[in-house]
Amino acid sequence: MSILSSKIQGVSVILPDGRLDTNNYLDAEKLVAAHVEAGDTKIIFDFSKTDYVSSAGLRVILKAAKLVRADGKIALCNSNEQIHEVLEISGFLDMLDHYGSLEEAMQSVAD
Amino acid sequence: MTERQTILVVDDETLNIELLAGLLKADSKILVAKSGERALKIAASGKPDLILLDVMMPGMDGYEVCRHLKADEETRGIPVIFVTARNDVDDETLGFELGAVDYIRKPISPPILKARVKTQLALMQQQRELRAAHSVIKSSKERMEEELNVGREIQMSMMPLNFAAFTESGTPSLFARLEPAREVGGDFYDFFELSDSLLCLCVGDVSGKGVPAALFMAVTKTLIRSCAADRRSTAHIVTHVNEVLSEDNDSCMFVTLFIAIFDREIGKLNFTNAGHNPPYIVQNDGQLIRLGARHGPVAGAIPGIAYGEETRLLRDGDTLFVYTDGVTEAMNQAGSLYSEERLAELLREKGRDGSKAAVEACMSSVSQFEAGAERADDITLLAFTFSGVRGASVTRTWNKLQDTAEVNTWFDQFAQSRDLDAALTRKINLVLDDLLSNIISYAYPETDTGQIETGFAFEDGQLQITLIDDGIPFDPLSAAQPDLDTPLEDRALGGLGIFLVRELMDDISYKRDGDRNVLKLSVHAGSPGCNPD
Repeated sequence: MSILSSKIQGVSVILPDGRLDTNNYLDAEKLVAAHVEAGDTKIIFDFSKTDYVSSAGLRVILKAAKLVRADGKIALCNSNEQIHEVLEISGFLDMLDHYGSLEEAMQSVAD
Repeated sequence: MTERQTILVVDDETLNIELLAGLLKADSKILVAKSGERALKIAASGKPDLILLDVMMPGMDGYEVCRHLKADEETRGIPVIFVTARNDVDDETLGFELGAVDYIRKPISPPILKARVKTQLALMQQQRELRAAHSVIKSSKERMEEELNVGREIQMSMMPLNFAAFTESGTPSLFARLEPAREVGGDFYDFFELSDSLLCLCVGDVSGKGVPAALFMAVTKTLIRSCAADRRSTAHIVTHVNEVLSEDNDSCMFVTLFIAIFDREIGKLNFTNAGHNPPYIVQNDGQLIRLGARHGPVAGAIPGIAYGEETRLLRDGDTLFVYTDGVTEAMNQAGSLYSEERLAELLREKGRDGSKAAVEACMSSVSQFEAGAERADDITLLAFTFSGVRGASVTRTWNKLQDTAEVNTWFDQFAQSRDLDAALTRKINLVLDDLLSNIISYAYPETDTGQIETGFAFEDGQLQITLIDDGIPFDPLSAAQPDLDTPLEDRALGGLGIFLVRELMDDISYKRDGDRNVLKLSVHAGSPGCNPD
C-alpha cells in the first residue's frame, strides 16, 4: 500500500496503490497538501491501481476540494466498481467529474 | 599359549604310557587311563585338550572309546589322535571316520609325535580363542540389536496416531505413516493443534542412524512443539529451533525439516522448508504443485540463520504431501532408486483418493518397488487434505486496536478461500475499515487496548458480519446523516463512513449487550463458491 504522486503538464496526479483507507489516508492527505502548497490547483485522483476506498479515502478528496477551493479543479478517473459506487452514494459524482482514462481527466482540467 | 595344556594318554600297556608321557610331559600336563572305560571318565571330568588313544585294548577298544567321546556333548570337541600298531589303510580310514584328527603308527618316532601333538594343541587353542571371540561378538551383537530396538521404540512412541481427531465426514483429512528401516533412520512426523483454527504439521529427518538419531529426533520434536506454542510463524519456529539445536552440538548432527501452520478457517498454509525434500500439493483439479523453494539450510548445523517462509492458500480438496528422502531413495535389488519422478507420477494418479488411501498407496508402491531389498532408511509420508471452509463461520479476536489494520488482510484471505465476489469483498473492506475506525475512536476514546471480535458466516445466501467490542457504549447508527447536497468544499470531513456502511449493507443492527457493543450486519452474497465471475 503506497501512494504515488506525480506532476504531469502542470497537473498533480495522485495514484493510490492498493487500499486507500484508515491506514494510509494521512499519507495521501499530506501528499495533496504538499502539492497545493507548491501552488498546484489542478488535482487528479487516478484509481487505476486502487482496490478499494473507504470513507477515509473520500476524506482525502474532500480535503483536496477544500484546499483548492473554487478556483481549482479536481477530477477522478479509472475507478473500479466498488470505488465508483462509493463515490456515487456519497454524492461526490454530483460535484466532481469522473473519467474512464487519465488522458480524458487531463483534458478536462487543462482548459 | 599361556597355560600348559592337558593331554590324556590312553593305553593298556604301562610301558607305552610311560614312553608317551615321558616325551610330552615337558610341555604339557599328562593324565593317564589304562582302559577305555577309565578314559571316558577322565575325559569327562578332566577336560583334556587332546587325547592320545590306543586302538587295541581289552574290553572297550579305542574305536569304541572314540565313538562314545564324539557322542557326548561334553567331550565331542576334544581332538583325538589314534596311536596304534595296526598298519592298515582301512583301520586308518575308520579312525578318521570316527572323528579322529590324526593317526600315529607305532613304533613311535618321538619328533613326529611331538610335532603332531603340538599341531593339534595349537589348533585346539586357536579354536578355543575363536569360540571365545565368537561369543563376545554374539553378545555385543545382541546388545546392539537391543539398542536398535530401543532406538526404534523411542522413535515410534513419539509419533502421534490420533488421526481420528482430524476426520471430516468419515474420512481422515490427516494421515501419516513412518516405516522404520532395520536400523533407526531418525525420521519423524508430528501434528498438533495450536488453536481451534491453527494446525501445525511437520516432517523431519535427522542425520545419522540408531539411538543417537532417535534421541536427536526426540529433542527436535519437543523443541518444535514448545516453540510453536507461542510463535505463529514457521520462519520464527525454525529459526529458534536451529539456534537451540546448533548450540553445543558437538556430535554435529542435523535435521531436515518441513514445518507448516495451516489456518483451517481461511485455508492459509504458512510453511518453511529447512533443507527438506520438496513437498507436493495435489490440487482438487488434479494439478500437481511442487513446493520447490527452500527457506534455509538443514537445522542444527549452523547457528545464526534467519529462515524464510512462504504462504499459500489451499482450496477445498487440495492435499499437501510431505515425505522424507527414504521414499525417493528407496532402492530395489538392482540398485536403482524409487525417485521423485515415480512419486510425482503416483501422486498424480492417487493423490486425490484421500489422505489415508494416498499414503497407503505410496507405501505399498515403494514396498513393491523394493521387492524385498533391505531398507536402508526410514520412510515417512504425511498427507493433509483441506476439506474446505464452505458455509463455515469464522471468528477472530483482535486484542490490540492497532491489529485492526490486519482485519482486512484476514478478511481478504477468508473471501478468497470462499471465492467471494471481488466487488463484494471490496465493499466489506470499506465496511470493516469504517466501522472499526469509528469503534476505535468512540468506544475506546482513552485507550489503545481492547478486544474486538470479528465474525463472518454464510447463511441462506447472506453474508453475516458480527463486530463485538468491549469499549464504552457506542451506537454507530445514531450518527447524524451527512449533508450530501452541500458543495464538497463546504462539507464537514466526518460522518460519511457510517452513511456508506448503511448504504452498502442490506441490514444493520446495534445492541448493547452487558458491557459489550454488538453490531450485526448482513448483505446478499449469492452462494459462496458458485460466483459467476
